[in-house]
Amino acid sequence: MTAYIIRRFIHLIPTFLGATFLAFLIIQLAPGDFVTRLEMDPSYNHEQIENLRHLFGLDQPFTVQYAKWLSGFLKGYLGISLSYQTDVWQVIKPRLLNSLVLVTLSILFIYVVSIPIGIYSALHQYSWGDRFWTTVAFIGLAIPNFFFALLMLYFALYLKDVFGHEIFPIGGMRSLYIAGLDFYSAPKWRQWLDILWHAVLPVIVSGTSGTAGLTRVMRTQMLETKMQDYVRTARAKGLPERVVIYKHILRNAIIPIIASIGFLLPDLFGGAGLVEVVMGWPGLTPLMLDALFSIDVYIIMGSIAISVVLLMIGNLLSDLLLAWVDPRIRYS
Amino acid sequence: MAEDKTNLLEGLGEHSLSHWQKAWLRFRRHPFARWAGSILIILYLMALFADFIGPYPEAKSFRKLQFAPPTAIHFKTETGKLVRPYVCKVKRTRNLQTFKLEFKQDCNKHYPIYFLVHGFPYKFLGFIPMDLHLFGGPWVMSGKAHIFLWGTDDFGRDLFSRIWFGGRISLTIGILASMVALLLGITLGGISGYFAGQEMHLIRGFLHFPSRSELASEGAAAFRRVFSESSLVRGWRNAVYEGQVSGYIVGLVFQYAFWILSIVVVVITMKGFLSISTGLELAVAILVFGGLLLYMFWALVFGELAVDIDELIMRSTEVLAAIPGLFLLIILSGMLAKYDLPSATRFMLVLSILAFVSWGGLARTVRGFVLQLREMDYAQAARALGAGDWRILFRHLLPGILGYLIIVVSLAMPGYILAESSLSFLGLGIQDPASSWGLLLSKAQQGGMTALRDRPWLLFFPGFFIFVSILAYNYLGDALRDALDPRAEQH
Repeated sequence: MTAYIIRRFIHLIPTFLGATFLAFLIIQLAPGDFVTRLEMDPSYNHEQIENLRHLFGLDQPFTVQYAKWLSGFLKGYLGISLSYQTDVWQVIKPRLLNSLVLVTLSILFIYVVSIPIGIYSALHQYSWGDRFWTTVAFIGLAIPNFFFALLMLYFALYLKDVFGHEIFPIGGMRSLYIAGLDFYSAPKWRQWLDILWHAVLPVIVSGTSGTAGLTRVMRTQMLETKMQDYVRTARAKGLPERVVIYKHILRNAIIPIIASIGFLLPDLFGGAGLVEVVMGWPGLTPLMLDALFSIDVYIIMGSIAISVVLLMIGNLLSDLLLAWVDPRIRYS
Repeated sequence: MAEDKTNLLEGLGEHSLSHWQKAWLRFRRHPFARWAGSILIILYLMALFADFIGPYPEAKSFRKLQFAPPTAIHFKTETGKLVRPYVCKVKRTRNLQTFKLEFKQDCNKHYPIYFLVHGFPYKFLGFIPMDLHLFGGPWVMSGKAHIFLWGTDDFGRDLFSRIWFGGRISLTIGILASMVALLLGITLGGISGYFAGQEMHLIRGFLHFPSRSELASEGAAAFRRVFSESSLVRGWRNAVYEGQVSGYIVGLVFQYAFWILSIVVVVITMKGFLSISTGLELAVAILVFGGLLLYMFWALVFGELAVDIDELIMRSTEVLAAIPGLFLLIILSGMLAKYDLPSATRFMLVLSILAFVSWGGLARTVRGFVLQLREMDYAQAARALGAGDWRILFRHLLPGILGYLIIVVSLAMPGYILAESSLSFLGLGIQDPASSWGLLLSKAQQGGMTALRDRPWLLFFPGFFIFVSILAYNYLGDALRDALDPRAEQH
């Protein structure tokens, strides 16, 4: 097992290098660099601009820039952002935390909702309830995240019109004031409560397609496990139906679902990204979009490198979890 | 007697259904397949006849009627008499109390709606000049009154017309992108699966000899074998044996060119890097670059380096998969959006980006199937009959997974539609004055969160069409999977 884990870790290195190099290469596709923007600015003269180019190594071949970036990354330094005039990590860190709040809550939402529905659908196969949830799942899979987010905003606006005050917040992540106090001087628990309140709609939106997918998987898993011989044995020896379902079927059916948590990550990152943009949640994707328009290279590279690392670790953990809970999966 | 005969024929007919006929039967049995198929056909037809269905051309804008709500269609006069449906002239005024723009109807004169009327000229299918429109009236061309069934957008363009024009892009880009991705996926995945386990030489060092222990075991003849057993000579002998001498020589040229180019790149990088580094970084850099260069030189002269091409391709797909899909999409199109491109070029660009981002998954699927199939008896038989690798791969193996490919593509289609609309929604895909559903939807939020409430038509109509087309493709894919999956045949 240890050897397997180490091998998998070593496996990650070329993938990481390849992914970051690819991203760096793509950024080079744009005409000009992020200093080009300043050439229009009369407060900079030609010499200053050339100095800036030299300072950021933009006059070097791009392989050198990449090597420099990589060496900085290995030292834990992500470079400097020209738009924000500060260290990239300082810019990314709060955004990353915001995104992680959304992604974590979405994962919780997905599991809490889809597992009971999956169980219900499997136990009442082809009933009206099952058909209803199947249809809901198909709709959930088909509705684009950004459209759903807009619908939710419309819904929140509608509620506000009806009740005269905001039942759900209209976009954003924090209120400016909590009970008359400035957000940051309010007690910590009220701050968190406020963020959670803001997160309700975004989490529902970004969790929907994942929920729909997982419901289907859970249902299939339950149906497959229901047919196993040991379930028949359990019934034959007279166990109560409750015990058969929850101890014999559910426990076996749910293992791969729990273990595959890491595979949800890529979709969630993307899905939550669009929701962030539409609902004004200050996460990583809006930051990336801003950085794209100003070709703020190191912000883009930093965000991508961090998300690549998170993704790879998530996948690795999932693989290990799967291998650990299911001895049939051999480490090859 | 006659009855017996017909029965016999019926029995024969039932049992001689081909694979595709059976699939078609199963497809039709799927509860939603027919619905999904018809809806898609209708959508495609509407998009094809967009010029005819929409009363206005794609880019026709009315500056004074921005964000006009859907035009009301009246069926009765003020006195309650039932007449031919008509519209009234709409004027934009500013409410002096609230300072909001308001649209007021002026029903002094009625503008009746006729069907199949002459209007704005267009080229049907791109080359037949026509001016026939599904509905409208002489007042459409002269601009005395307007008919905006679903309101207007930020430039005062008719949303109803633009939806159908946008459908052309939104609905075709998925098909085209999946074709390109499929082509890439099939080729690379097929090569990957078929040649898995065979080594491709990255470099044959021109002084690469067998190891000392190998020579020692050979005894006195060893010295003479030094040259006859060098990597180059062995490769040559293999090539002659397999009758691929020209391929071997071209490969060799490529190998050396690639290797020398890599060395040049590393040297340039090293020089640049060392000139801007100091201290510990400098020391580590010297070690790393020095080691790399030494290794490359050693490989060029003495080494023999071979990789599994399967490994190479699969690693590339892993690299693509390692970057979150949305991020890869937006940096690619964000960088290319900086260029000012005509809309046809941009369409091709978005299409290629979608294909580039998604071929990896297809390649993996194809590889898995080919790995299985190449061990099948019929593949061995083809080889025994003297068929070449490429013939076996493209004529014998890939047709065997046609059914799976159809399933995979139809299940992937909603993803492409979604990806295109997301990109256009973010302003990185299709751009004005062309239209696509994502782009149209992005106008809904223009002017802040509360804009949604004031002009919901910009939210509901484009969003509805994206949703419906994705839903229909999902059902279609589901039905196709039920129909074409060979495992379904047993049930």
